[in-house]
Amino acid sequence: MARRWYGADWWFVTISAVMVLGFIIVAMFPGLFAPHSPDDLVGPRFLAPGAHPDLPALILPSDSPDNELIDLAVPSDQPRPIVAVVQGVPTSGALNEQAQVIDNQIKNEPGGLRLRPRIERYATLEEALQAVVNGKATAAVVQSLEFEAISAQFPTLREGASITGERSTAGGFFLGTNDIGQDVLSRLLWGTRIALIIGFSSSLVALFLGVPLGLFAGFVGGSLDRSLSLVMDSLYAFPGLILAIAITAVLGPSMLNIIVAIAVLYIPTYYRIVRGQTLSVKEEVYVEAAKSIGARNLEILQKYIFPNVIPSVAIIFSVNVADAILTGAGLSFLGLGLPPTIADWGIDLARGQRFIQTAWWMITFPGLAIMLVVLAFSMMGEGLTEIFNPKLRER
Amino acid sequence: MPDDSLYSVRNLTVEYQTRVGIVKAVDDVSLDIRRGEILGLVGESGCGKSTLGKALMRLHTGPARIANGELWFDGRDLMKLSDREMPDVRGAEIGMIFQDPMTSLNPVQRILDHLTETIQAHEPETSGAAARTRSEELVERLGIRRERLNEYPHQMSGGMRQRVMISLALALRAKLVIADEPTTSLDVIVEAKFLDLLKELQKEFGLTILLITHNIGVVAEVADRVAVMYAAKMAEVGDVNDVFADPKHPYTQGLLKSVPNIRLEEGELYKMEGAPPNLLHPPIGCRFHPRCPFVMDICRTREPAFEPVVGGHLVSCLLYQTANVKQEGLHA
Amino acid sequence: MPEPRLMENKTAAPVPAAETADLVRVENLRKHFPVQSGFLASILNRGHIPAVKAVDGVSFTIHKGEVFGLAGESGSGKSTVGRLILRLLDPTEGRVIFDGTDLSTISPEAMRKLRSRMQVIFQDPLASLNPRMTLGEAIGHPVRIHITTRLEEVKKVVCEILEKVGLAPAEQFYNKFPHQISGGQRQRVVIARALVTAPDLVVADEPIAMADVSVRALLLDLMMKLKDEFNLTYLFITHDLATAKYVCDRIAVMYLGKLCEVGTLAEVYQHSGHPYTRALLEAVPVPDPRHRRKELMPAGEIPSAINPPPGCHFHPRCPIARENCSVEEPALRELRPGHFVACHYAEELLK
Repeated sequence: MARRWYGADWWFVTISAVMVLGFIIVAMFPGLFAPHSPDDLVGPRFLAPGAHPDLPALILPSDSPDNELIDLAVPSDQPRPIVAVVQGVPTSGALNEQAQVIDNQIKNEPGGLRLRPRIERYATLEEALQAVVNGKATAAVVQSLEFEAISAQFPTLREGASITGERSTAGGFFLGTNDIGQDVLSRLLWGTRIALIIGFSSSLVALFLGVPLGLFAGFVGGSLDRSLSLVMDSLYAFPGLILAIAITAVLGPSMLNIIVAIAVLYIPTYYRIVRGQTLSVKEEVYVEAAKSIGARNLEILQKYIFPNVIPSVAIIFSVNVADAILTGAGLSFLGLGLPPTIADWGIDLARGQRFIQTAWWMITFPGLAIMLVVLAFSMMGEGLTEIFNPKLRER
Repeated sequence: MPDDSLYSVRNLTVEYQTRVGIVKAVDDVSLDIRRGEILGLVGESGCGKSTLGKALMRLHTGPARIANGELWFDGRDLMKLSDREMPDVRGAEIGMIFQDPMTSLNPVQRILDHLTETIQAHEPETSGAAARTRSEELVERLGIRRERLNEYPHQMSGGMRQRVMISLALALRAKLVIADEPTTSLDVIVEAKFLDLLKELQKEFGLTILLITHNIGVVAEVADRVAVMYAAKMAEVGDVNDVFADPKHPYTQGLLKSVPNIRLEEGELYKMEGAPPNLLHPPIGCRFHPRCPFVMDICRTREPAFEPVVGGHLVSCLLYQTANVKQEGLHA
Repeated sequence: MPEPRLMENKTAAPVPAAETADLVRVENLRKHFPVQSGFLASILNRGHIPAVKAVDGVSFTIHKGEVFGLAGESGSGKSTVGRLILRLLDPTEGRVIFDGTDLSTISPEAMRKLRSRMQVIFQDPLASLNPRMTLGEAIGHPVRIHITTRLEEVKKVVCEILEKVGLAPAEQFYNKFPHQISGGQRQRVVIARALVTAPDLVVADEPIAMADVSVRALLLDLMMKLKDEFNLTYLFITHDLATAKYVCDRIAVMYLGKLCEVGTLAEVYQHSGHPYTRALLEAVPVPDPRHRRKELMPAGEIPSAINPPPGCHFHPRCPIARENCSVEEPALRELRPGHFVACHYAEELLK
């Protein structure tokens, strides 16, 4: 029996509260946690989680002050830098390209630096690297993974930046990159903000509209109650996502419209629960006692009914936020929500769908994120129900 | 175990596990229920009488458990029975009636079905027709027309439902019926008729009844002996005439004086000060000492034993045990 | 000390001097609750909707300063009468006249203000207190409505009444919630709330039924003490005739929506003229094994209030019923001075 787990409900709430708090902090300060900007193309495409990107990297002597290709630029009167490459590998082409790009960049700058490397081809990787060691070449450009494989043999050499400017962080991209080279982790963390904003805002709007309506309908009764309930029940009967789709289709895609659409969806939930609670609290003896001391109806609503109805609302708010996040993700998954430039879990899910076999991480991690947030809020709601509902507890 | 005792409870302790600690709802209680008697078990709310009643059938689940004790029913220690053997005793040998009959009866089952099912569950060799006849005869004996057996519980009044509950116990020829506040939710005339019925059944069927109630008047009307509980302990037990005429325990004295008596011409109600103690941290020594008008120093440190004062009349009060105490010497 | 009265009943018509001793006069009060039946059923019944006749023609008066008991079993309508007097329910027929004012003639606002003069103590103290309000707020609310809204004064008044009902130190109880105190203490809070506006009438509906036996006497004692101090009049609704004996001056017995008997305590208890009252008095368990009940109880049970027996409602169960009892409804008549009975053959019982 659940009763044997004394304190289980407290554990439930504590763990989920910690999770929720974590999500909220991430949502408020995504920049603190995300290694990259979510929109920047910071890495190679389709990089697996934790993998090192395989980029053409500049290999330099350990004591060299240079790091990037641009550092090799020298004044025109100085000898051109010699760069070693492996024969038959397309790296030289890339090198030439990059050199030209950089040249165009720096030729108008004062100082008269030019980058026109002399490219020396070697038969094998080891020979190319050996040239740098021997001082015959200033640097080498080889594929980073290949260098890392044999870097032990060349203790005096180190890996610099990639020649294309992409970062090849030693740890790689923690959760991989997506189809256009954005960091999945950063998008995830920034997406938390969107998800939570949508979730909280729509739930709050639904609450501020649904609760007063439910209170009045329950307290006053009569035709007001009947007509309102008719409207609310009709709304409630609609399959949620479809109604949200219809609304956003009419209003157009934007964050505000999503919030409105989802809020409309959940107003009936709050209305029904508050109305039901009001109806039963209305019959309580202490409400009759309030009438007997001469309290006005408004006072009775305010002081006697509202405070006794509100705890149930607080509990469903939590579960509601979870549901709203899910609906929001669903909307953007279908492409009906936000403009595609905003980092959002739903959009990432949609993108990752196509590449599920080759780049499984694109869809998995946003999916996991949604699941965890929904789980956290749901658990908190359930845990609060256990704690605050005295009828479920043993006397 | 005394010969005429149907049920001998020895040193029973029932504990409740709560968030803030262990509460002993029944604390080292011993009691004998004699064959064929109506024993009234009285006390205020929280004294442990209902817990004791349920423990006699080992009905506790969840955070409540019997921590200690022997339950000698008809020669067997029920504590030694397994969980699978207990249901055979419940209903068939010991029956129970609860306070609110509405919640004890299945609302979607007709009374007749409830009765016949119960009979056949305990005595599988009984045919449907035989079970039905037995049920009809029984309820008629209890004052319900047999046609009403086809009704559902909500169609019957409270008094009738209580009679149905008794008929269940009788149907299985239970030896002991534990009635936990059976008349608290009944009107006073219905209550009077129900108490008459209990007395008739005691005479006709030799039924033994443990009547648990907070209503002193009810006990005075029907019981042969009375047991008074206070704060999870047994305060006083004795013949009903003895206890009412000469209550020994100060709590019993106060209780009897504070109960209104419609026959008395004049008189004020006695007002007992204080409140029953918190069972999480009961007072040291005698549990009644904070409220006792005759409290002595020793009552604050020493728990009284539950002993006879005059044959058959037992009390747990140091007022009657002082002689013994003096012999052992007082250590202040 | 009693608080100053802030309002006089200005809407009352001048009342003849002889009647001013009556605080409450109930005239031919009826309350029928329609039974919820389906659309089809109401058509079939041709518009006649069955109703629970909870109160069916009740008339009595409550004198100023007395404790008037209203006794009966379930279904008698006694609680409904209490609510009708307090105007928590509107009657189907009949009037309630409080201190000369017909309550059906005044505006809702005037009624609201009048409530400070008639208060109620309910049966279940836990249910009558708002679980989300502190005791101070709960008791202070009627003060705010009728006396003053200044925080300091409200608090002073509340603390005074808390001390009066025995909940001291008042500051300690002021900020507590209902679930933090015991049942007996809760009922004291309810009593405090009822008395804080110094009402004239207090309707006590089974005020001690849910309290522990040892606490009941204390609560009753408190109520009687406060009655003297505040010059109260009580309508004491109860099913417990034994307790009623200790507090009531006069008592009325109800059965199935009608009055059986009204009179002083001595008259009704010792010279009862109605078979139902007699049965009720006999049925009460006596805490003395030497005096066990020997009388037989009336057969049958309380019938439904939707279709009560014709004529005298009690006739199917009455030991002295005759033929005309099932046809003619007995009126409440004066059997002995001040003692009224609704039974055709009451004289027989007196012998």
